[in-house]
Amino acid sequence: MKFYARRITIYLVTLWATISLNFLLPRLMPGDPAEILIAKMQRAGEVSETTIRNIRLILGSGSDVPLWEQYLGYWGRLLHGDLGISVTKYPTPVTELIANALPWTLVLVGLSTVIAFVLGIGIGAWVGWRRGTWVDHLVPGTTVLQSIPYFWLALILVAVFAVNLRWFPIFGGYDVFAFPSGPEPTLAFLSDAIYHGILPAITIVLSSVGGWLFGMRNMMVATLSEDYIITAEAKGLRPGRILRAYASRNAAIPSIAGFSITLGFVVAGSIVMEQVFTYPGVGKLMFQAVQNNDYALMQGVFLVITITVLAANFLMDLVYGFIDPRARHNA
Amino acid sequence: MNRTKRSTALALAAGAAALALAFTGCAPSSDDGGSGDSSAALRVWAGSQTPITANFNPFAPTVLHAALGPIYETLFFFNKTADEAPTGLIGDSFEFNEDGTVLTVKLKDGVKWSDGEAFTADDVVFTFEYEANGYADKGLVSAEATDDTTVVLTFDSPQFTREFAILGSTWILPEHVWSQVEDFATFTDENPVGTGPYVVDSVTEASYTVVANENYREEGKPAVKKVQYIGLDANQSAQDLLSAGELDWTGMFIPNPDDVTANGIISTINTPQDPTVLYTCANAALGCVGEQTDVAVRQALNVAIDRATIKEKAFVGLTGDISPTFALLPRDEKWLADPANAISPQSPNAAEAGSILEAAGYTKGSDGFYGKDGAPIELDLISVDGWTDYNDAAKLIAEQAAEAGIKVNASTVQWQEFSDARQTGQYELIMGGVIGTSVADPYQIYNDWFDGKSTIKVGEQLLPGTWNFSRYDNPVVNDAVAAAAATNDEAAKQAAYATIQTEIVRDLPYIPLVINATQTFTNSKDYTGWPTEDDLYAFPPAWGASAAGVILANLTPAK
Repeated sequence: MKFYARRITIYLVTLWATISLNFLLPRLMPGDPAEILIAKMQRAGEVSETTIRNIRLILGSGSDVPLWEQYLGYWGRLLHGDLGISVTKYPTPVTELIANALPWTLVLVGLSTVIAFVLGIGIGAWVGWRRGTWVDHLVPGTTVLQSIPYFWLALILVAVFAVNLRWFPIFGGYDVFAFPSGPEPTLAFLSDAIYHGILPAITIVLSSVGGWLFGMRNMMVATLSEDYIITAEAKGLRPGRILRAYASRNAAIPSIAGFSITLGFVVAGSIVMEQVFTYPGVGKLMFQAVQNNDYALMQGVFLVITITVLAANFLMDLVYGFIDPRARHNA
Repeated sequence: MNRTKRSTALALAAGAAALALAFTGCAPSSDDGGSGDSSAALRVWAGSQTPITANFNPFAPTVLHAALGPIYETLFFFNKTADEAPTGLIGDSFEFNEDGTVLTVKLKDGVKWSDGEAFTADDVVFTFEYEANGYADKGLVSAEATDDTTVVLTFDSPQFTREFAILGSTWILPEHVWSQVEDFATFTDENPVGTGPYVVDSVTEASYTVVANENYREEGKPAVKKVQYIGLDANQSAQDLLSAGELDWTGMFIPNPDDVTANGIISTINTPQDPTVLYTCANAALGCVGEQTDVAVRQALNVAIDRATIKEKAFVGLTGDISPTFALLPRDEKWLADPANAISPQSPNAAEAGSILEAAGYTKGSDGFYGKDGAPIELDLISVDGWTDYNDAAKLIAEQAAEAGIKVNASTVQWQEFSDARQTGQYELIMGGVIGTSVADPYQIYNDWFDGKSTIKVGEQLLPGTWNFSRYDNPVVNDAVAAAAATNDEAAKQAAYATIQTEIVRDLPYIPLVINATQTFTNSKDYTGWPTEDDLYAFPPAWGASAAGVILANLTPAK
């Protein structure tokens, strides 16, 4: 029990520190949103004095409030679930922006992360088991895929499969031309959304499966040289049983720990994927917020990310004991 | 192929979910409606990024493109691509008094708001008195409706040069709606009532749709009944959609436009508008430091630059040639005083650069670079990291200057650093833009970029609406700008501009480089009536305020 109490305290302190940092960091950034917006509009042509005056009026930074007062106000609003109003998407509340983007991110990035993990572990185990044969060539193959810059891989896939072959749509989370009034709870919409998710998902899986595969394969090779494997073989156990119950189970432990952290980061979305495919999600909110010095949106997104990552870590801490008996004993 | 069929089927059954489902199951195979079909929407990308937020308030910084032109209208439409008189939208005619302080505007008769209410002179008065337009601070003494279709605006100073601002960029508001608005700053105006050809149909995070305004003043217009504006996060997506024939109108930069026009659906037009220049912090009296404060150095740099190469290599040959007078040619032809200033030198002349410098007392050092009293000329040229065309141009300029014996160090900086540098005047050279004028008259550039009253001493931020980053302050220019503002007489204005041009062509506070490309891509197979090279009736890109409404109203689906 003492163990858990200590963990929880540590996590609470971490949470406080990250939320405070979250408040402070955006304010250390140079520039103010009004200036950035005006300069952007200016690139597109003449900006009237009135527009400039109004922008300053609307977006003017209330920097005459002392920092600690802003900090207290920040906590106060936070506890009420109010994350403020976005400047980039003025005047939408940040909570609404995040709430609308989160489901897309969770489903697409979440699912493809799980698929990449399962594929990576499965194939990794098999490649490790058949070490020294031709299947070893899969390792460099997949790591090459991973080392290709993601945006490039995505652009190539779009050019080939969406533009030339026209197997997949070019952009969007669903067909905006067929559903001009937005998502609707119909089967047609659902299948369209799934269809639009396939290519982005493939790019994410392709670019991340290599890491899992490589790690798993190496752990597998190490595990296979353990004494208990030789014992199992000597006992005359079926190879399939040795692979699954003895070798894979033990080899997968480090990967599972890494996986939990990755899952925590799923909520951050995939900035590049969302840009390339104009796919709805949290990543682009973060990107746009940083580009436009949109403090409220930045804080909102970072808050969601930190909390999920912390929660994922916390959960992992708790369940790790169940996966790995050795951790339980040492604790 | 299968996909387009399904999309069409779905579009037809929009709203009826169950029906849509049935259609998907058994889409008739004979159906092959293209996007020219009257029921299909014209698809536009005007530059919006996802997620889209419903905001049609013309005063909001995040206002959606369709609000300005397709929904709200100004009194008159100014075609910024040509030297022609403004055409009436809801205004019919206008007239200044002798000294330019009283503007009388006649309105069209029988115009209705999109909600069916009559549009009257009172709406115009309301608009000009409306707080957010800020005319009270700009010298408006009174706005009066003398009858239902006449408005008289009285100012305390001549307004000749503000003609565009007053008539061409003040969005006319319905009094019966906007008088109820409590705070224009937080108003999102999700169901805008305007006089333009379109009204809002639906808004989602991915796109928004406008449909024809039943009460539009011109019978039978707009012929395109539905326009869908989509949000895209990457230029590449827009380019892919154009190639696939799934996007009908956009204004964006595509280095190789042949790729998208190859499908026989998309046409392209390039209308260069905004100058690209080298800002130089030119005025030592206001605190500028560096050798570029010496006019001889700027002149030498000006002739050392190889503009033809910069155009080809950095801007893929799509830019226009610039005039050192900042008149946009051929549009502003009549304002060009000396034909010799029609175009900046396109090929470099290192010898001339050398003789300019030697005449000013510089000598070439052993390292091949010019200097004075043992101190070589060394200029820092910055451009914003990631603006690759500017980065490339800066590198070319550094090489070209070196060949003429002038040392220029090109480097890239973050946007913020660039912004601070030009705002406060703490720089030597910057690759930057100048905003092109919205009417066929370079006045706005002379006033905002060259006039001494539009600048401030180094170390302080420029005031809003002033852009004189070079700190240039020349009494001759200042007087001529003031003289031009006070008159509506063409000859008097020409004389004033001639003075300005002589001064700025010699002094070069901004060293002209090129005129930026403005590319527009349109679906000319399914729709007719787009602006073309032969009939450039409006500025063509989809993001152009006001012009977008004029273009949309003018389109017809091809038979």
